[in-house]
Amino acid sequence: MSEIDATDTIRGRDPMKYVFIGPAFAVVLLIAIFPLIYSLGISLLSYRLAPPTPVRFVGLDNYAALLQQERFWQVARTTALIGFIAVALQYVIGFALALALKAKVPGEHLFRVGFLIPMLVAPVAVALIARMMFNPTMGPLNQFLSLFGLVNLPLLTQTNYALGAIIAVEVWQWTPFVVLMMLAGLQTLPDDVYEAAALENASAWRQFWDITFPMLAPISAAVVFIRLIESFKIMDTVFVMTGGGPGISTETLTLFAYQEGFKKFNLGYTSALSFLFLIVVLVIGSVYLAVLKPYLDKQK
Amino acid sequence: MTRRGRYWALFFCLVWAAFTLFPIYWVLITSFKTPPAVNGGPTYLPFIDFAPTLDAWSDLFSGRRGQFFNTFYSSTLVTLFASVAATAIGAMAAYALVRFPFRVKLGAGLLFFAIAFGGYQTLTQGFGFGRFDAALRAFPSALVAAILVNRLRLPGPVLGNADILFWFVSQRMFPPIVTAFALFLIYTEIGRAGFKLVDTFWGLSLAYIAFSLPIVIWLMRDFFAALPVEVEEAAMVDAVPQWRIFLDIVAPMAAPGLAATFMITLAFVWNEFLFALFLTNARWQTLPILVAGQNSQRGDEWWAVSAAALVAIIPMMLLAAVLGRMMRSGLALGAIK
Amino acid sequence: MKKLLTGAAFGALMAAGAAQACSPDFSGVTLSAASQTGPYIASALTAAAEGWKAKTCGTVNVVEFPWSELYPKIVTTLVAGDAAFDVITFAPAWSPDFTPYLTEMPADLRQGALWEDIAPVYRDRLMVWDGKVLSQTIDGDVHTYSYRTDLFENPAEQAAFKAKYGYDLGAPQTWSQYLDIAEFFQRPDQGLWGTAEAFRRGGQQFWFFFSHAAAYASHPDHPGSFFFDPDTMDAQVNNPGWVRGLEDYIRASKLAPPNALQFSFGETIAAHAGGQVAQSIGWGDIGVVVADPKQSKVAGTLGSAILPGSTEVWNYKTGAWDTFDEPVFSPFMAFGGWQAAVPQSSLNQQAAWDFVTFLSSPEVSGKAAITGGSGVNPYRASHFENAQLWSAIFSEPEAKGYLASQRDSIEAKNVVLDMRLPGYFSYTEVLEIELSKALSGDVTPQQALDTVAAEWNKLTDEFGRDAQKAAYRAAMGLPN
Repeated sequence: MSEIDATDTIRGRDPMKYVFIGPAFAVVLLIAIFPLIYSLGISLLSYRLAPPTPVRFVGLDNYAALLQQERFWQVARTTALIGFIAVALQYVIGFALALALKAKVPGEHLFRVGFLIPMLVAPVAVALIARMMFNPTMGPLNQFLSLFGLVNLPLLTQTNYALGAIIAVEVWQWTPFVVLMMLAGLQTLPDDVYEAAALENASAWRQFWDITFPMLAPISAAVVFIRLIESFKIMDTVFVMTGGGPGISTETLTLFAYQEGFKKFNLGYTSALSFLFLIVVLVIGSVYLAVLKPYLDKQK
Repeated sequence: MTRRGRYWALFFCLVWAAFTLFPIYWVLITSFKTPPAVNGGPTYLPFIDFAPTLDAWSDLFSGRRGQFFNTFYSSTLVTLFASVAATAIGAMAAYALVRFPFRVKLGAGLLFFAIAFGGYQTLTQGFGFGRFDAALRAFPSALVAAILVNRLRLPGPVLGNADILFWFVSQRMFPPIVTAFALFLIYTEIGRAGFKLVDTFWGLSLAYIAFSLPIVIWLMRDFFAALPVEVEEAAMVDAVPQWRIFLDIVAPMAAPGLAATFMITLAFVWNEFLFALFLTNARWQTLPILVAGQNSQRGDEWWAVSAAALVAIIPMMLLAAVLGRMMRSGLALGAIK
Repeated sequence: MKKLLTGAAFGALMAAGAAQACSPDFSGVTLSAASQTGPYIASALTAAAEGWKAKTCGTVNVVEFPWSELYPKIVTTLVAGDAAFDVITFAPAWSPDFTPYLTEMPADLRQGALWEDIAPVYRDRLMVWDGKVLSQTIDGDVHTYSYRTDLFENPAEQAAFKAKYGYDLGAPQTWSQYLDIAEFFQRPDQGLWGTAEAFRRGGQQFWFFFSHAAAYASHPDHPGSFFFDPDTMDAQVNNPGWVRGLEDYIRASKLAPPNALQFSFGETIAAHAGGQVAQSIGWGDIGVVVADPKQSKVAGTLGSAILPGSTEVWNYKTGAWDTFDEPVFSPFMAFGGWQAAVPQSSLNQQAAWDFVTFLSSPEVSGKAAITGGSGVNPYRASHFENAQLWSAIFSEPEAKGYLASQRDSIEAKNVVLDMRLPGYFSYTEVLEIELSKALSGDVTPQQALDTVAAEWNKLTDEFGRDAQKAAYRAAMGLPN
């Protein structure tokens, strides 16, 4: 048990705690608070920069218009779909890779460095590279797939294929994040528990489910949570690969916000959208944490 | 692990390595291709399928396609500084959240928000203050009021460490679009008041630190929480000051986590696009903007994109190798005991 | 080659400048010019900056942003009143959103031989807004048609074509001929396809669509009625002329390489230069790339012509098709050509306008127009006259054909201007969405265009119908 509940302890009254948390708190408050307040204010206005129209107070009209717009719901669904599937795949594959690395496969150090690379590539670059690879006449993927008899698949022009392509790129890019975190977690596990289990002739599978997985549950939860939140903001990949099309079937929330905010400069609307987006993510995040809480508490 | 298990693990790693590294290989060779070699269809082996050329690279370094050296320099400085700062103060904050209890009354939090928002709106709409002036008056007053009120007995729920942690992380849930624009506006206004922040080292770094902190705190919290508290308690009994406990005992034990988090922060900041676009102009433009710029109006020029992307990737790869080494020698808890 | 030319230009200007150093004197002045990431346009700016520095002792710092972020970057800077840029370069379609923040061109620059040299369609229409000259054209843009002379002049092909379609194979006079030719050359098993155009959402697709529709919907007797009814501001995009244009556009997408729906303009150039298609339409860059042996597999086979026209044009006033004996050509000034302007927030306005004039002067712009990678296409009469300039990159027949097609298009009687309206992106976004749906067959052309028209009318009302009407009339050169 490492979180202390009572404030009435020596530590509770130690003023050092403010020194520790102070700088972070101050920086975040200063930089993040203004945009939030400003956006909230704007979301209650009808504020267009292009064409320049006079600013009007409209209260909750922006929110109402958004909630009634089919495009918003479809975009939210698409974003959630991509997010959940991609993160699930990232977690499973990433965890498996971390285990393999921990088990000291030959060439482990090379694999470790190599596996990390996709995460270090700028999302913009990843998107451009993906488009290059998926190009039917100029990229290698189509040639590769034709070896299996799948010729000229409409990988980026038909919705379901396009969604699959986007998820594949997300998995390619972010599995390293999971690998990195889970590996770091695996390295902090104490050896003695494993030694005891080995003495009892426990199989590798049992060792995993009874020892490794539960002990890493907090880190797993944290990693999946961060990945979920970040994947809701996916934009570059979709923008460059499909432009959100065909129609708007692969458009994500951030891309929608980008179109409204930076192309049409419909700022009031975009701010309302941003807050709705925030609420959506908050809800998902809270539900996620609430569901996992009893399980995590058991580990403590 | 059994030998058969090892073979499967190796096979799995090899497959994934192929999947992961083939696009990188592709990018590498494409940066040496001529336009016809790209447009005519996929070619795989230099010297065999196509004749390599250094055109894309000389274009990149010559500055024909954006100011390469400037942006590289800017990216490096800002990324290093912001990542180090964010990891340091983020780790401190995470440690505090794990070891010290905090109590914030919900009423105080709501009061802060009410005064900040209400004050800002009244000052800008009602009294015609500029954005910066309004913020300068509203926010500190809100903060002071909230702190004072927190000492009183207020009805309502009390927020604990978990909630404060959630507040930190929630800063990353807000889509960056409007945030970038709002930050640009306030930076411009502060600039007009005399402290130039747009297109400066400090302006960009501060923004990056602020938005990297949530991840650092969230991740480090679990690493710190996994450490045994007995070691620290022993030190406390010996009357070792708190900051020494942190620096000399806790931080080394959490080294793998710190290294991993530092690398993730580094990757985020190095590759961040939107804030860099809005908060910089000529002087501090960063690499991701250069990479995005290769996607020109006249269409994709793959060779240029590949060269630019590689330049952005290679420093990261070197870093991965260095930090991977650090992680390998991560201290197992057994050593401490 | 480029270095040689730039060096020569530099040397010449140095020699001239040595006679009167720093005139006018801007020593100590540093201008910031915003542009898209090079080499296109940015390299032209940089080259001009060197010459300007020799002449006036002032420096120009070219700041580059990714193409798709240039618009938001300029808007946010202008709106915040930030003095970051002294010169901005942008697409004419964006000018209505910028005009409140721009300075007018100084009067002394608006007269004289240099002024008259600019092609009228730019000088009197594109650079003007609300009666004021607010920007300077630094690049010309029009869609033309390109084809493979080796295929078209091959006697076997000619015979086979004539046998199948009944008329001679040559540059198409109408869009249906264009589609016939595409069908004739659609030979996937031989690695040859009919045509290449841009079809991708976000990949300049709607300009290609406009090129198709212009021939059917831009009536020579009713100027300015292409996009909207100039009297009521009702959207015209769903009239039968437009629908016919969309049907042609969709048909073209089926006579193109397999991933054509993913084509942006870049892929169009690549397809033609890679020898995959028999013809293509697009901006002048196609010609320059196709003719360059370093970038093209089919160098030396460039044929150029004005865009196909139509013998039938929709008359919106009578609600019927008008037939003409000769095809009516309506070349479309897609994109319009980059403009340079000076924001009101600039602290060096005089120097900035001097630089802009220098940049667009016949010598400097002429050199840029023949430099591959500068992104500058011809827009001055003097550009077209100096054929020798062009022989540096084209073979002689290629050069003649190319220049003729560019000039004929700009000077055509029924040349069609691109749309310029406040809130431009709102209008084009819905168009792009519906276009991609129509291309993938999710909706019929009529349905797609009906949706667009309804949405456009809604937007017009939201932005203010009268204001939009005045803006549209101004953009089309109609009196108010």
